[in-house]
Amino acid sequence: MFSDLSAQREGSSLLCRPASEDQGPVFERTTIDYSPCTERYRLGERSFSRQYAHIYAARLMEMRPLLSERAKHKWGSDVLIKKLCDLETGEQCCIVGTLFKRMDLQPSILKEISEEHNLLPQPARTKYITEADELILEDELQRIKLEGKIDRDKCVTGSVIVIYGAEKNDGKFTVEDFCMADLPLQTPRPELGSDKFVLLASGLGLGSSKADSMLGLQLLVDMVTGQLGDTGEQSGAATISRVLLAGNLLSQSTQDKDASTKPKYLTKKTQAGSVEAMRLLDELLLQLVASVPVDVMPGECDPTNYTLPQQPLHKCMFPLSSAYPTLQLVSNPYSANIDGVRFLGTSGQNVCDIRRYSSMESHLEILEETLRLRHLAPTAPDTLGCYPFYQRDPFILEDCPHVYFSGNAPVFGSKLVKGSDGQEVLLVTVPDFSSTQTACLVNLRTLQCEPVFFSAFSADEDEESEMNVSH
Amino acid sequence: MTTKRGLITDSFKVVKKSRRGAKQRKSPTPPPSQPEDVAPSAREEDLQQLKQFDLDWRFGPCTGISRLQRWERAKLHGLNPAEEIRELLLQTQLSLWLSYTVSLSLL
Repeated sequence: MFSDLSAQREGSSLLCRPASEDQGPVFERTTIDYSPCTERYRLGERSFSRQYAHIYAARLMEMRPLLSERAKHKWGSDVLIKKLCDLETGEQCCIVGTLFKRMDLQPSILKEISEEHNLLPQPARTKYITEADELILEDELQRIKLEGKIDRDKCVTGSVIVIYGAEKNDGKFTVEDFCMADLPLQTPRPELGSDKFVLLASGLGLGSSKADSMLGLQLLVDMVTGQLGDTGEQSGAATISRVLLAGNLLSQSTQDKDASTKPKYLTKKTQAGSVEAMRLLDELLLQLVASVPVDVMPGECDPTNYTLPQQPLHKCMFPLSSAYPTLQLVSNPYSANIDGVRFLGTSGQNVCDIRRYSSMESHLEILEETLRLRHLAPTAPDTLGCYPFYQRDPFILEDCPHVYFSGNAPVFGSKLVKGSDGQEVLLVTVPDFSSTQTACLVNLRTLQCEPVFFSAFSADEDEESEMNVSH
Repeated sequence: MTTKRGLITDSFKVVKKSRRGAKQRKSPTPPPSQPEDVAPSAREEDLQQLKQFDLDWRFGPCTGISRLQRWERAKLHGLNPAEEIRELLLQTQLSLWLSYTVSLSLL
């Protein structure tokens, strides 16, 4: 564990007289092999004139053979796999298709602007599911309503599954069992000699009106760059070989669009909140990149495109830190091979979106569900913005990662998932730093993850209570 | 849009009805048989083949992407689209003209 490494005290050097001429011990940071998988999530030309039917068709085309094999494996190789158009009443068979959940509360722009309904825009809710939701399975040509042993509240639109059952007389399909694509095959990771760590952090929240997390951030930077603690802790920090920032580097408050609603003469001299925040981020990154390779992923509140896959932040926004080759600006979702360990993850938009449209609460549970579905973001493009791909769906997991993470979770969570073919995946939900002051350290040798808390005294609370008393 | 490669009237001939006085309007005579029936019918046959390719449900939606892109996608996912369609699409003379007719034939 990382905490064990830094606790080795060989005589507390902090309390000794400072060394006269010699510098003191210099620690070399462990280097690792790094190869990013850049092509998959980069967009070349962007043409939005296509419809989204193509991405669903490509998704079904790609998942159909995988699911047929799973079905044969689970229910016997002589099970019938049929298309909906060939379905006969009462016949036990399997159908491969895309789930669609019809929810009454799902925000629909058509309902909002329809004059006959005369509705006011709905306020945002945490959950959009109700008891009256219906599950429908669609294949290439037809769709059918589902009932039976399938948890309607847990499923989300866009997941491709295979169902086993029969159609009853009333035109609905009664599901007796269903199956997801499950984990893809995994190339085994190499044995590493020593402990090497990767630091995962997200939700730095720079540029917000409350600067509560700034001290915590500075502590984080100081710890990683080895400026904190004595030789034991410094040697521990030298084993942190990479830092990954998983989105929401800027805070939500930089996104407010007041400037567009206020008249020009009031806003002429004011800068957008994100300009100052990016400058802060650049300075923070400068401290980090001088010492450790950093991967920066954009998130929901960052200045890049909204639709998934989010393109990397442009390096012109980082004049100071982009001079260093250790700064890697990467896309969201992000996939890379770090010393033979495959990392795959997002900044959390996919998990938050699934949480809104299903009964699952814990981010870790949802992350596991997306892994079992073999799809990063099944709700894209229905409720999550997505680029209209036509040739293939890049969110389908082709090979199993070793570390699968998602950023901006409310709490830290990690779990080791074992697959049926010997796959081992470490699921990590990286917590939001601005609210939890927590980052995660992943040990590449043992595939374990531990949280690191940076707590700072917050003077605000005491002041507020005094003010209340005086009132 | 340039129509250097051909006009729609090349394929669909304009039939002019001959007037025989205002009162004696008979039903229009059928168009005279074309001497070049043989040549356009090969082209029309190709056009028909491509239209059938467009409407084949196995290869997914056909709007918004070119036929060649759709063929490539079908090949990528192992759906075995016919090779002759690809050859048709790659013949330069036909490809531009027929990609123009995709939007017309789907109206």
